[in-house]
Order: sequence, then structure tokens, then C-alpha cells
Amino acid sequence: MSANPCPRLFEAEAMRDGRLTGPERTSFERHVAMCPACSREVQALEALAESLRASPPDHTAADELHVRRERTQLLAAFDRALLGPRRSRIVGHRLRWPAAVAALVVAILFLPRVRRSAEAPAHASSAVVHADSTAVWAERMVGNCENVVLERGALWIHVDHSSREGRLLVVLPDGELEDIGTTFTVSADDGHTTRVAVQEGHVVLRLRGQAAIALGPGDTWIPDSRPVASARASVVPSADPAPTTRIDRGERRTPSPRSSASSAASPASDPSVDFRAAMAALDVGDNHQAGAAFADFLGKHPRDPRSEDAAYLRVIALQRSGDSAGMKQAAIEYLRSYPAGFRQADVEALSR
Amino acid sequence: MITRHATIESLVRGNVPQTPDPDILRELAGGEIGALGELYDRYREPVRRFVARATSDADDVDDLVHATFLAAASSAGRYDGRPSCRPWLIGIAAQLLRRRRQSFGRFLVVLSSLRAIRATAADPRRALQARSEVERALVRISEPKRITLLMAEVEGLSCAEIAAALGVPIGTVWTRLHAARRELRRALQEGEKS
Repeated sequence: MSANPCPRLFEAEAMRDGRLTGPERTSFERHVAMCPACSREVQALEALAESLRASPPDHTAADELHVRRERTQLLAAFDRALLGPRRSRIVGHRLRWPAAVAALVVAILFLPRVRRSAEAPAHASSAVVHADSTAVWAERMVGNCENVVLERGALWIHVDHSSREGRLLVVLPDGELEDIGTTFTVSADDGHTTRVAVQEGHVVLRLRGQAAIALGPGDTWIPDSRPVASARASVVPSADPAPTTRIDRGERRTPSPRSSASSAASPASDPSVDFRAAMAALDVGDNHQAGAAFADFLGKHPRDPRSEDAAYLRVIALQRSGDSAGMKQAAIEYLRSYPAGFRQADVEALSR
Repeated sequence: MITRHATIESLVRGNVPQTPDPDILRELAGGEIGALGELYDRYREPVRRFVARATSDADDVDDLVHATFLAAASSAGRYDGRPSCRPWLIGIAAQLLRRRRQSFGRFLVVLSSLRAIRATAADPRRALQARSEVERALVRISEPKRITLLMAEVEGLSCAEIAAALGVPIGTVWTRLHAARRELRRALQEGEKS
């Protein structure tokens, strides 16, 4: 290896790091123009930086479902932090291990399937938006997420998730609405969300300062200050933060008279949508609903590859909801159906 | 791709400008959860990429990203108002990486032993070979030097900003940068020869 061809070579890095300023920098810049060795060094440093800046393939990149779950957990953690450390500690201790186990299990068992599906021919998610005459709205991409920004007016949105795990977020003046494979209508006016009605599938409504609300098929949400006589709001507040507005529960439902869990039992019931809906309920802390939704999933899709996950997560959901008898029964059913299941040891402990 | 079917001609549709970062952080400081969601959607990818490249332990990348955004939420009121908060978030992530290294050093030894068991199931060499030459060279540099180099060359932070974020003298930043570049170039040269 030859010695440095120029005694000022070290200044190339010094300049790059901001250590050369004023006359020293000017002097070196003039020198670089005349010195091939220093010029090469400056270029080599820039090339090195350029190779680092070149976006690397992220081999640890998470799938869309995982990202959505991470996002939901982040917002829930933020909610808990706002509500005060004492309660969050209690809830945290109680839920940390089941939540960690459930997240781990789902990550291990569900991620490979999602990745496999990603290897199939690429499908674009498809969202159809109908807007009324007063609507002021736009769409934008934020990362991989399709955002529909609604300022005012009403939108009817249908998202087809049959091709892939797509994601669509409606950004509202006072919060956001996350689609989980669905057809729904959302309205906003005067800086506030005024109505959300779900025809198919599920959505999660997050309004600033309020707990997340899961809405299922046939549910209509109308804010507290608005008339609600004609609406049936099968709205589910999050288990963690108490909502700051009253949740009204009407009795009229369109188009189906069945409950959220059973209404999905239509002939066109999609296992992926049902599973996502159950996961969404678990994510937002609606553990009763999650337990029912996982049971519903198992009843409708007993041969689905996710049925063991669903059976296990049903146990977790019932445990979180405090339903000990239900949890034990669900644990016994899991062990009966999956005597050599992946979570056999965990579930056995819960069944006693 | 979104297909639109505007039913009425008078439909008004415009490009709603993206909310500036300082406004988002102001809303976040006021406890608005939607602001955190927007911040996450906007910067999850770069923060995650930084953390994933900065740490040699891929297992807790998600935890660190989660912690970064929560820490950002709790200190949003102190944001200095720069147009892009990406360097600020990267600084927070770097601080968390440093703290993790200091606090969980012993714990990581235990984790490393567990990873040795798992390695029999999934050979890490395959993942390593899949990386680019630069990435392979990068993981051979020590974590403090790697973090410093990524903050400077990829994220564009000044040496003074890096020093403040990592809580080290600026001279240490210069030393680490010099050593990191030297080691990276050497590793790349060795890679070319082999």
C-alpha cells in the first residue's frame, strides 16, 4: 500500500464532517480542483455515502396486517398514557403476557401465509368511492396506505379485499376511520364526523380524545349531540380508555337483524374478513366481541388454516374479558380440537 | 389504486395539502391521537429502516420503533419546529438504541444465547447473503459507529446534532465517523477481492 499521495488528503473527510469552515474550507476547495488525489478522495467519500443512502431491501419488513396491528397498539399505548400511568400499569401487567403471547403466535403463524400470498401475482387493492354533491375530499398515499381525506360531505366507500390485504384509511376532520374489508358510508360537516354507517365488514373509528370504536355490519354511529332516533349504533367502546362521549344504542338495523358476529354468517362470508374483524376487536380491546367473533369464525370456517389461531385467540380474548368460565370452556374446546396444538401447554395451564 | 365515481358534477375535489410536521407535533402535544397516527404513517418506514440497519438485533426492531413514536409523543411539545421532523425522530431512535445497549447489555447476552438455539432452525447466513455488499459490510462495524455513520450519511444530521442526540462529545462523533468509513471501505475492498 502506498503512502498518502497528498498531505492534505485528510481534509476531504474534515470538510465532509463540517470541521473545515471559512478560509480553510475555501482553501481546500481550491486545492481539490487542482489535486487529483484529493479530488478522488472527495468523490470516494461521496460514493460511499451514496451507497449507504441507496435504499436497502428491508429483509425484516413487516406485512400490512402486522403494520396495522403495530399502529393500533401504538395508538392504544398513547391512549393509556393520556389516561394516566396508574391505570395503564394495572392494565399493562394484567395484559402484557397474554398480549405478548397472542401477538407472537399471530406473528409466527400468520406472517408466513401473508408473505406467501405476496408471492402470488400482484393485485392492487381496489376502493370505489361515491361522493355526494357537497363532498370535499381527496386521496393521497402515505407509505403503503391509501388515505381518503374527507373535509365535509358524504362518501360511500367499498373496498375489495379479496385480492390482497389492502389498507384504506379515511382521514376525518376530527379523527380517522380504518377500513377492515368493508362497504360503508361516512359523513363529516363543520370539522366533525357526523355519521358512519357500515353495510358490510368492519371499520374502526378513532376520534381524537375518544376511545376507538369498532363498527360491524348494519351498525350506524352518530355523535352524541346529533339525533339518533333512527340509528342503531352497535358501537363498541374500547376496553381501555372510557369514551368521552355517550354511545347511543338504537334498535333499528339495516339491512340485517342479526348481531355483528352472526351477521357475517351470510353465504358470502369471507374467512379473511371474519378473521380480520375478530382481530380488530381484539386490537381495540373489545374482548367480549373478539371472543364471540373468534367463536363465530370457528363455527363458520372450521377447516380454515387459521382455525387453531382463532381457537387460541378466543381463549385469550375471554381471559382478557374476565370471563373465567368461558375461558376454561374455550380452553377445553381448544385442547379437544387440537390435542397436539402449538399452544397446548399454554392452553392447558389456562384450562385448569 | 382508487377508482372514483363522482355522481354529481359539482363535486369539489382538490389535493388537500399534507399537514406540516410542526402542526402535527403541535396537535400531538395537545394529546390528539390522530396526529400520532399520521406521524406514524408518514415516518414509520424511514424510522424502521434506520433502526433495522442500526441494530444488529432484528428481533426488537418493532419494539424500538414503537418506543420511538411514544417518546416522540411525550416530547412533542419540545419540538424545535423544523419543517421535517425525520431527523428529530431518528435522533430519538438513536437515543433509545444507546440506552438499550447500556441498560440491556447483560440481558442481551442471555438473548444471544437463546438466538444460538434458534439459529439451527433458520440459518442467518442466508439472510446475510441476501443483503447487498454494503449492508454486509455495515453489519461488521460496531453498533455505535454504525449508528453515527447512518445518522450522518443517510439521515443527514450534522455532527453537532448527532453529538447532542447520542450524548457524546463532538470529537467522539468525528472519531467514530472516521473509523466507520475506514472499516466500511476496508470491508468493501475485502469483499471485492474475495
